[in-house]
Amino acid sequence: MNNSKWDDKTIAAASSSVIILGALLYYWVGEVQSTVELLELAYGSFKFFNNPMIF
Amino acid sequence: MLSNFLSNYRSVAGLIFVVLAVALVELFEVRASVYPSLLPFFEWLKYSSWIGYLGITFGSVYATVQAVHLISMAIIGGTVLVTDLRLLGVLLKDIPSETITKGTHQCFKYSLSVAIATGIFCAAGVADKVYYMPVFWIKMLALLVGSCFMFFIKQPLLNSRSHSEIDPWILRILAVASITIWFTVAATGRWIGFS
Amino acid sequence: MLVSGYYSWNWLEATHVLTLMISIGSLFIIDFRMLGWVLPGVSATAIADRLHKPMIIGFVIMFITGLLLVYAKPVENVQSLWFRIKMILLVLAFINAWVFNSRMRAADGTWDSARVAPKGLRTGAIISLSLWCGVVAMGRFIPYDWVDCPKVSNTALLWASGCVEQLNAL
Repeated sequence: MNNSKWDDKTIAAASSSVIILGALLYYWVGEVQSTVELLELAYGSFKFFNNPMIF
Repeated sequence: MLSNFLSNYRSVAGLIFVVLAVALVELFEVRASVYPSLLPFFEWLKYSSWIGYLGITFGSVYATVQAVHLISMAIIGGTVLVTDLRLLGVLLKDIPSETITKGTHQCFKYSLSVAIATGIFCAAGVADKVYYMPVFWIKMLALLVGSCFMFFIKQPLLNSRSHSEIDPWILRILAVASITIWFTVAATGRWIGFS
Repeated sequence: MLVSGYYSWNWLEATHVLTLMISIGSLFIIDFRMLGWVLPGVSATAIADRLHKPMIIGFVIMFITGLLLVYAKPVENVQSLWFRIKMILLVLAFINAWVFNSRMRAADGTWDSARVAPKGLRTGAIISLSLWCGVVAMGRFIPYDWVDCPKVSNTALLWASGCVEQLNAL
């Protein structure tokens, strides 16, 4: 790779994008996990429709 | 040597400073100590300020401002998607990405300003509720990060040179990060409505 | 079933609202180009053509989720004044889009690289923007109960909302 392409703005853009994406992935995976846990707590199994309990 | 680094790598230095600041804030639990002192401001916003009064008293005004907030969110989404999908090479491939980036930025800035202004009004109407919602604070953080990312990192890089001189993978990761952060702002905003 | 699922209604509504960004976002970019507010140096027909597909994909998703939302809560929606106005505005918006498209294809290409489109297309863009803002606003008003059937005594409003029980009681 041509090193002159890696100037200040490029390094900042690459690193900040990686940090932001990593943080957001961590957040969203955590949300999906807690949603699944909540549904299993409410219904005894992970079901989106036709659940026996009605809220 | 430090002054040389600071003058040649201003953006990187700024990023390092922000990351260190966040790490220190988390390490010394500054958030926990600042959070209670914000409650009087939120209560003032809802019960004493005129925007809170308008929002609570006139439900139709509140709903109309919310509709404007939604429309400005749609315009932000449109400009972000058009620009970022072009950077990813999905849309408008026959038009130079520099043209798309420059041509949509003004529209993005105006719609973001309207979204923030209407968002403050909407938050003021339910300020005492949103103060206690973690998802509200996540949205504010995402909004701050997204705005700083756009104005201090993404636009300066994309405006500084022809996009053919930038590594295509940098462009792709910029676009994906931008789409993801603005999607998070919109989704957490919707989530506030459900809480 | 859709309403009684713990999260299903929320997911449906969230998808309907968030897809706004794709459908209305693309549409607004096309309209703004006609008015010269965005991408002024770019061919207007090129933008309209290229953004047509994401716009249609967005609208298909909006239509499906909207249909499911009405299916989940049929009475509340059909007896809502705001929902009825929204449907009328939607039909008008689609008619306007069809007229706009025909005019764009019929017009000769000399205006294409100009900053603003010819007057007829600009008018169509302004009408489109107004109608779609109306659709979004009416959609936002549906959950509010200001003019719900039990709260209204005005005969005209009851008729407009389709409140058959209250109309029969009068």
